[in-house]
Formats: sequence, structure tokens, C-alpha cells
Amino acid sequence: MKSADRGILSEHDLKKTSNKIVYGIMVLVIIIMVFTMLYPISMTMFNGLKSNQEVNSFPPHLIPQEWHFENLSKAMEYIDLPMFLRNTLYIFAGNMIVTLVVLGMASFSISRMNVPYKKAFYFFFLMTLFIPATSYMIPNFVNLKELGLLNQYAAFWLPAGANTFYFLLLKNFFDGIHPEIFEAARIDGASEPRSFFTIAVPLSIPIFATLAIFIFSTAWNDWFWPSLVMHSEEKYTLATAVYKYVINVRALNTNIKFAILFIVTLPPVIVFLIFQKFIMRGVALSAVKG
Amino acid sequence: MNQTASMIEQHPAIPESKPYKQNRWKKNFWGYMFLVPAIIIFIMFMWVPIFKGFLYSFYYVDFVKGNHFVGLDNYSRALSDPDVLKAVKNTLYYMVLCLIIGFWVPIAFAIAISELRKFGGFVRVAAYLPFVVPGVVLYGLWRWLYDPVGPINALLTTLGLDQISFLTEPKWSMISLVFMETWQQFGSGMLIYLAAVLSIPRDWYEAAEIDGAGVWARIRHITLPSMRNLIILMLILQIIATSQGYQSQMALLDGGPNNTTLTYALLIVKYAFTRLDYGTATALGMLMFIVLGGLGILQFKLNKEDN
Repeated sequence: MKSADRGILSEHDLKKTSNKIVYGIMVLVIIIMVFTMLYPISMTMFNGLKSNQEVNSFPPHLIPQEWHFENLSKAMEYIDLPMFLRNTLYIFAGNMIVTLVVLGMASFSISRMNVPYKKAFYFFFLMTLFIPATSYMIPNFVNLKELGLLNQYAAFWLPAGANTFYFLLLKNFFDGIHPEIFEAARIDGASEPRSFFTIAVPLSIPIFATLAIFIFSTAWNDWFWPSLVMHSEEKYTLATAVYKYVINVRALNTNIKFAILFIVTLPPVIVFLIFQKFIMRGVALSAVKG
Repeated sequence: MNQTASMIEQHPAIPESKPYKQNRWKKNFWGYMFLVPAIIIFIMFMWVPIFKGFLYSFYYVDFVKGNHFVGLDNYSRALSDPDVLKAVKNTLYYMVLCLIIGFWVPIAFAIAISELRKFGGFVRVAAYLPFVVPGVVLYGLWRWLYDPVGPINALLTTLGLDQISFLTEPKWSMISLVFMETWQQFGSGMLIYLAAVLSIPRDWYEAAEIDGAGVWARIRHITLPSMRNLIILMLILQIIATSQGYQSQMALLDGGPNNTTLTYALLIVKYAFTRLDYGTATALGMLMFIVLGGLGILQFKLNKEDN
């Protein structure tokens, strides 16, 4: 038998009845798991398309009896979703650019440019990992306030360059590029910035894509920090706006509530389904190294 | 190797009499230039807040009239507040619950899913999907699922059991939150474990089977030991993460009912943004740092061994 064809169990194991039963139970548990994963998410979608009376009926059922697609347009009218979407995308784009420029250059310098005392610089960046983020969350806020950055996008863009986790991801990636490529460029007379921008950057598209996904999901999901930093409504991100105006509001009809939640869920789910292979490989690789 | 190359490159151009220091500065000019922006940003947005956190824990922070020094007042206020003790207890309870309810789930599913002959890809996507759903959607969704007239209670009624008010009953509130978070997050942990399970050479199982090891023996003596380092690392990461947890407690219950879901980090947030006492909040943060700092170093050491 080819060794690739087996896992922990072999074909032979599955001929025994006791193993068959255990395997059957295992498959059943996985099926239940998949169901409990998909049911609440599809419920979000279908609840957004029911009449309010049907959402609140007991016991609940999955598929709507009558379809109310006008809920979606009502949801769009209830809060200014396009504005909040634009704010979220602003933050995403700015964070992305700052991360790539600031951390990309720094990690390239540490990884490939052989500066003296690079261990000390590396340690300077790495040290911040030992300090739990929550313990300096309040001083961080006070600091932003004292810098006069509150209620400005810069309060997100600039600190995006101070992310040790992304720094490590980039550095690990640059470490994996063959040094000979840069040697060759140097011998051919390329300056350091040139070898960074014309050789390292194009080679790093995969890691930039992984970072883009992380940064996107942070910008899309984070509701608490933006609600502290941004205090005027026209600068709220999507998640903050949903938290403030949808989750904790009792007066809103449940079906409209779900329609809004559905609209907010859709983009990340679509992005995930399109890039799923890529994202899941990224998760498995990166989370361990963080 | 880098050095050889640059020496060859520079040798004809630079006379030997030139001082070494200047030479080195020139050679590394771009190297430093590439580091400068990151250093400035790390100082401004990481090290300054961390340093201010230390400093302000001895100050009364007042944005209008200016800060003034109060010595150890913040610390004594923090330590004499009965809420702090309650919050520490709640946090420990939350951490233990996360271990009991949540920690083993991704490991078990990673092993099970690695054994699936078909639909493995679909199951992975399904398991990871909740992780993609934004947190705020999760809160809205689970508030409805846990509702006295929601689907879970409907299921309990059909099974002939009593209804449970998952969120408003103090006994259940924290458990319900942990259950919700496990549901959301186990997918990503599962993927990490799955990569480890799949990297174990299949031949080992083959050899063990020939030696007469049963299925459980193979899992216990081959699969789990191979993942040992990863499991320990994930354990520490989970402890670090759960000891700082506050978002779902805040969003769903705001620390209630009757402070049963008031975690330590949530108390820090409340001190700062409800009581507007930034000094005490910072002092509480410092106390947290002292306790958790050791764990961070441990994680770093293990991580290094792992790579």
C-alpha cells in the first residue's frame, strides 16, 4: 500500500466492526459540527428576509414563508451604510499602505541589509510582544488624545506601522528569499532602495496578500477601538456603527436588524470563499509564528 | 557573504586611508534609512504609551486642568476596590471555562477531520466560516439564538427540557459567552492543528500498525506527542488571550448580570471610560502587565524552540 493513502487509520482498520462504529460516530459528530456552523450563519441571512412577525414566532424556522426582499432596502435606509463602508475602506487602505511601507522597509533592512547592531534593532521591535496589549490600552488612548489625533484617520494609519506581528511575518518572508538575488543586484550596481523596490517588493506579493487579508479583517471587525477613537458619527466604521445603532437598540425590528447584519457579513464571507485556499494556508503558517 | 560582495564593489573606489567609521556609515546609510520610519512609529505609538502607562499610574489624569502626581493613590484605590477582586475571580473562571469548554475542541476536530476520506475541504471551510463573520454580527446573532424564544430554547422545549435564560441568569451567562466564542474561534485553531497532524509522516502509523498498535494507541503515542510543542504553545497563547478578554462580555452583557461577567480587562475599560479615572485604569493595567509579562517571555522561548 502506498503510504500516502492512509491516515491514522488504514484500510485494514476499517474492516473491524468496533472501528467502523467509532468512525461512524466521528463522521456524525463532524456532520453535526458543520450543521451548527452553517445553521446560525444561514439563519442571519434568512431572518433578514422574513417578515418581522415571522422572525419573532416560536419555534423559529429556517426558510422564510414569504420573502421580503424590501428589508434590504429598508436596512440601507436605516443607517448610512455606504458612508460607514467608505470610512472602513479608508482605514483599511491607509493601514495597508503604512504597514507595507514602514514595516516592509524595516523588516527588509533587518533581514537583508546587514546593518550593524541589527540584533539590537530587532530586539527593540520584538520586545513589544512581551507586553500584553490590554495593559497599555488606556495609556495608548491617552497618548493619542495628547497627540491630538482623536477623531482623525491618522489615529489608525500611523499606529498601523507599529505592529510587531506583521513585522515578523514580513521578516520571515524576506529571510526565505535567496540572498544571491540581492548579491547579484548589488554587483550589477543597484542601490539598496532599488533592489528593495524592484526585486523584494514584486517577490513579496504573496505575503502582501496575506497581510491585506489580515488588515482587512481587522478594519472590518474592530468595533471597540474605533468607537473610542472616533467620536463623531460621520467617521464611525461599519462595525462600530452596527454596534452602536443596531445591536444595542431595542426599538429596531428584528428582521431589519438581521438584514443589516446580513449585509455586513456578506463581503468578508465572499472574500473568504474566493480566496479560501490561500487564506487557510496563511492561517496555518502565520498563527504559529506570531 | 554580503560583506565579501560589498568589499569587492567598494575596493577600487575608496582609498584605504579613509577613516573606517565614515566608510561604514556610507555603506549602511540605506539600511538605517529603512529602519528610521519604523523606529519613530514604534516609539510614538508603542514605547511612549507603555512608558506613559508606567508614569500615569502614579498620576491623576485630567485632560483639562493637567495631570498631577498622586503617588500610590491609584494603586491603593485599585487594590481596595471589591470589584477588582470580583473581576480577578471572574477572569480566572472565564479562563478555566475556556480551557474546559474550548481548548480541546480544535485538537479533537483536527484529528477527526484529517481522517475524513471525502468532503475534507468542505468541512474545513464550514468550520472556519464563523471566524470570518464580524464580531458585531456574532453578538447580534447569538443574542437572538440565546433568546428565551430563540432556536436553542425551542430545541430544549422539543426535547422536553426546561427553558434556560442563557444570558440573564448569572449561573449561565459566562458559560454562554464561552460557548459562543468557542463556536466562533475553534475553526482557526483547528486549521493550525490540522497542518501539524498532516505533517506527521504516514509511515510512522504504518510501522506502528505492523507492530500491533491499535487506533487509540497510535493517536496517543504518535499523533499527540508529535503535536506536543504546538499544543503547549497554543495553550499559552490562549491563556494570554483569555486573561485579557473583555469584548464579548462588554458587547453582550456589559459585565452583568450582577457583575458576573465583569472581567479584569473590562473593569479597566470601565474605570477609564465610564468613571473617567484614567490613572486608576492605568494602574490596573500595570498590575496586569506584571502578572502577564512572565507568560509572554515563556511563550517566546517555546516559540523559538519550536522553529
